[in-house]
Amino acid sequence: MTTTRRRWRIPGGRVRLGWLGLAPFAAYLAVFFVLPSVLVLFSAFRRVDPDTGVHSFTLQNWSDSLHGAYLKGLENSIQLAAVTAVISAVLGLVLAYAISTSRRPFFKQLVSTSSAVLANFGGLPLAFLFVAVLGSAGVLTSTVQSLFGLSLQDDLHFSLFSIRGVELVYLYFLIPLMVLVITPALEGIRPQWREAAENLGATGWQYWRWVAAPVLLPNVLGSTVLLFCGSLSAFATASALTNGTLAIVPLQIDTAVSGNVLVGQENLAAALALNMIVIVVPLTLIYQLLQKRTTTWLR
Amino acid sequence: MTAEPAVATIEGTRVEYLDVTRVFGATRALDGFTLQIEPGELLALLGPSGCGKTTALRLLAGFDQLSSGQLLIDGRDVSRQPVNKRDMGMVFQSYSLFPTMSARDNVGFGLRLRGASTSDRRRRAGELLELVGLSAHTEKYPHQMSGGQQQRVALARALAIQPRVLLLDEPLSALDAKVRTQLRDEIRRIQLELGVTTVFVTHDQEEALSMADRVGVMRAGQLEQCDAPSVLYQRPATPFVAEFVGTMNHLPGVVRDGSTVQVGDQSVPADGQVPLSGTAVSVLARPEAVLVEASVEGDAVVQVATFFGAVTRLRMLRSDGVELLADVSSHRAGELAPGTRVAVSLVDRPVLVRTPSS
Amino acid sequence: MVAVTSVAAGSANPPEVVTSRASRRRLRPWRGLILAVAALYFVGPVLAAFWFSIHNSHTGIDFHAYTGFFSAQGFGTAFRMSLLLGLATVLITLILMVPTMLLVHLRYPRARAWVETFSLLPLVIPPVALVVGVRDIISFTGEDRFLGTPVATVMNFLQGNQPWLLSLLYVVMALPFTYRALDAGLRGSSVTTLVEAARNLGASWPVVVWRVVLPTLRTSVLNAGLLAFALVLGEYTMAKILNFSPFPVWLARFGDTDGQLQVGLSLLSLALTWVLLLTIAGVAGRAPGTARFPFRRRTS
Repeated sequence: MTTTRRRWRIPGGRVRLGWLGLAPFAAYLAVFFVLPSVLVLFSAFRRVDPDTGVHSFTLQNWSDSLHGAYLKGLENSIQLAAVTAVISAVLGLVLAYAISTSRRPFFKQLVSTSSAVLANFGGLPLAFLFVAVLGSAGVLTSTVQSLFGLSLQDDLHFSLFSIRGVELVYLYFLIPLMVLVITPALEGIRPQWREAAENLGATGWQYWRWVAAPVLLPNVLGSTVLLFCGSLSAFATASALTNGTLAIVPLQIDTAVSGNVLVGQENLAAALALNMIVIVVPLTLIYQLLQKRTTTWLR
Repeated sequence: MTAEPAVATIEGTRVEYLDVTRVFGATRALDGFTLQIEPGELLALLGPSGCGKTTALRLLAGFDQLSSGQLLIDGRDVSRQPVNKRDMGMVFQSYSLFPTMSARDNVGFGLRLRGASTSDRRRRAGELLELVGLSAHTEKYPHQMSGGQQQRVALARALAIQPRVLLLDEPLSALDAKVRTQLRDEIRRIQLELGVTTVFVTHDQEEALSMADRVGVMRAGQLEQCDAPSVLYQRPATPFVAEFVGTMNHLPGVVRDGSTVQVGDQSVPADGQVPLSGTAVSVLARPEAVLVEASVEGDAVVQVATFFGAVTRLRMLRSDGVELLADVSSHRAGELAPGTRVAVSLVDRPVLVRTPSS
Repeated sequence: MVAVTSVAAGSANPPEVVTSRASRRRLRPWRGLILAVAALYFVGPVLAAFWFSIHNSHTGIDFHAYTGFFSAQGFGTAFRMSLLLGLATVLITLILMVPTMLLVHLRYPRARAWVETFSLLPLVIPPVALVVGVRDIISFTGEDRFLGTPVATVMNFLQGNQPWLLSLLYVVMALPFTYRALDAGLRGSSVTTLVEAARNLGASWPVVVWRVVLPTLRTSVLNAGLLAFALVLGEYTMAKILNFSPFPVWLARFGDTDGQLQVGLSLLSLALTWVLLLTIAGVAGRAPGTARFPFRRRTS
C-alpha cells in the first residue's frame, strides 16, 4: 500500500509551509490535553501557604494521598477494578464467543451497537436504571420482598449503594466492553486452524489447549488490563449511584475539588489524580504491547 | 537437494468414492460422484468454482458428511469416522499454520498428539523440514516466513503424521507465479519419493496437467472425465472438457462419409463417433493444430499476435466471419504480423467433431 | 502483502464454508443457554426500569415520565445546553480533524504515526484526572493579575451561560473515536489512489478536495460527528466536576424530585444513543469500501 503513495512535486518553500497545516492540531492538543495533564503533575507537588500565598514544592500532598482514608480509597478502587475486570473478562469472553459463532450479520451488528452504547456512553443512565431495579423502591427489590418476604438489604445483605452494588452495575458496562475488544481477536481465529488441528488428530479440547488458547491469551490478558483501567477511571456510575459517598479514588477527587472549603485541597486532588495516572499509563502500554503481539499473529 | 530419502516412504492407499452425493439445502454439491484413486497416485480434481471439487476433498478429510453413497479407503468404509481419527494429511489454501508455534512445532504437532517423545518429534520434524528444503528455518514463526515457505511447512506438517492420503486444497493459489511453479515441482518430487496417495484440488488447469498422474474434470457435482493429462487434452470426452482444458477452435464442417469431415476445402479424418454423412458439424481443433501460411490468396487476416515466448498466438478472422486461433513458432511471427493475409488449414490428424447442438 | 492480494485475485473459489457445521451442532445447546442468560441480564433491567418508570403503587400506570419532562424544572435549559455543546463539539472536531487527517493521509504520511498516537492518548488519562488540571488552569487564569486582560475575557466567555469550555474539552475526549472513524474512512476508500487519479486527470488541489475527497468521506465524517455528539449528550464527569449543568448533570440532580422521571429519561437517553450508533452502523454498512467503525474503547 505504502509504495503506491507518491510525493507530488511541490516547490520547497510550500512543503515547509504545509507542515503548518498540522499546527492547529498540535496546538489544540497542547492547550487542552498536554497542559492540563502536566498541571496535574505540577500541582501534585505544590503547596500554597495560606497566609502568605507563596507557592512551594512539597511531597506532602502525595504522602497524604497514600495515607488514611485516601489509602483506603485507593485500595478500594484497585480491588473494585480488579474484581470487575476479571469477572467481566471471563463472562465477556464466553459471551463474545457465543456471539461470534453466529452467522447472522444483523444479530452481530445489533450486539456490537448495543455493546458500544453500554460500554462507551452508558455511565450515568445505567446508575438510574439499576436504582429502578435494585434500589430501595426498585422493581426487583419489591418483588423479592412481596414474593419471598425477604429484604435485599437486611436479609440478603445486598445494597446497591455499597461497593458490591457498584461492582454489579460496573459489570453491566464492562462485559459489553469486553465483548467489543475481544470480538476482533475471536474472529481473527481462522477456521483453518481448527480444521488443520482436527486433521492432524486433535480433539476439540486439544485444539483449544494447544492452538486457540495460546493465540487468544495475550489478547485476553490485554483486554483484562483495559477493563481494569476502564473500571478504575469510571466516575459517573459510582458518583450518581452513591451520591459521591463511596470511598474510591475518582469520587475522592471530586469531593476534594468540589468541596473547595479547605485551601490545598486542589493540590491533594492533583496528587490523587496523579496516582490514577501512574497506575493507568503503564497498564495501557502493557495493553498496547499485548495487542500488538496478537496483531502479528492474526495478520 | 536431498540425496537420500530421509523420510520413510508411506504405504499408498486406495480411495474409492462410490455414488457419493452431498446435498446442501437445494444444491447438490456432489451428485452421484464415483471415482477410484489408485495407491500412490497423484490425482488432481479440476473444475470451475462450485463444481464440487472442494466438497469431494472435504468429505474425504471428514470435515463434512456424505448425504448418500460410500467412501472407501482400502476397501473399508470411512464415512462414519471422525476427522481426527482419519489420518489424512491436509494442506490448506493458506494461513493454516498455527501462529504461536515455530515451524518445527507446527510440523511436530501431529506427532505430539500421538504421544511421540520430544526428541522423536524434533528429529522427525527436522527430517521433514529438510525434505521440503527449510532446514534453515526450523525456529521461525509463520509470520516471519513467506507464503511459499509457509506452504512448505504446511506440507511437512501434513506428511509428518504419515497420512493415509495427502489432501491438497489449492495449496498454491495464494502464491505468486514463480514460487507456484517451483513448489509445484517440489510437491510432485516429494510425492513420488514418498509414494503417498494424493488428491489435489485446483482450478488451475496448468497445475493439474503438469503435476497429476490423472486429472478428474468436474462439473456440477459430477465427474466429466478422469484420465491422464495427455488423454484429457487430446481426446476430451465431452464438449465441456474440450472447452475447459486448453483452448479450442470451432470450425464449421460437413461430414463426408463415416470417417472424414470436410472443413473448408480440406478433408480431414474424424475421430470417434461421427454423425451421418451430410450433417453440419463443429470441428474442434487446438491452436497448435492450425497451420498458417502467409498468402495473398488466403481468405483470413491476422488480427492480433500475442507473444508467449517460444510460440506466438495469432488471432485471425476468416472472410466468412469465423475467428481462429493458431500457435506458431515465434521465429515465424515476423512474417505473420497483424494485417497479413494468410491461408489457414488443419494438421492432417484425426479431429473431434460435434453436432453444433451438443 | 503480495500473498494476501493474490489470494483475493487467484481464488475464484472461496472455500465453501461448510466448516463447522458439525461442531456448531455440538455447541448449539450451551450457546443458546449463554445467549439466553445474557439477554436476560441485559434486557431484564431495562424492562424492569421501564416498568418502574410507568408504574406507581398509588396511582397505577401513567406515562408522565415520557410526556412530562419538557415541563420539568430546568430540563429545557439543561437539554438546550447539551445540544449546543454537542453541536459546538462536532463543529470544532470536524474543523480541526478533517483538514489534519487529509494532510496526514495525502501529504505527510510520516506524520501519521504521531497524529494517531496523540489522538488516542486521551484514552490514557482518565477524564476525572484530566479535569483536575483543567481546574488548575481555571483558577490560575482567575487570579487577580489577569483581571481586565483578554485572558480573563476569554475565560469568562468560555464559562458563561453556555460553558463552551466543555466543548473544547469534549473535542479532546472524543478524539480517539473521531480519529478512528475518519481514519477508517480514509483507509477504506483508498483516498490516496483517488487523489492520484484526479490529479493525474488534471484537477487542482481545491477541486480534488472538494469534488473527490470530501464526497467519499461523507459517511466517515458523519460517523465522527455522530460519535462526538453521542459522547457529549452523555458526558457527566467533566461537567459535574467543573460545576456546569448540562443534561446529564441535571438528570443526576433531579433524582430527588422525581425518581420515575429520572429513570424514564435515563432510558430515553440510552435509546437515543443507541439510535445514533445504529445510524452509524447502518450508514457504514450501506457504503461499500467504508470500513466498519470499531466502537472499541471507552473514554469515561
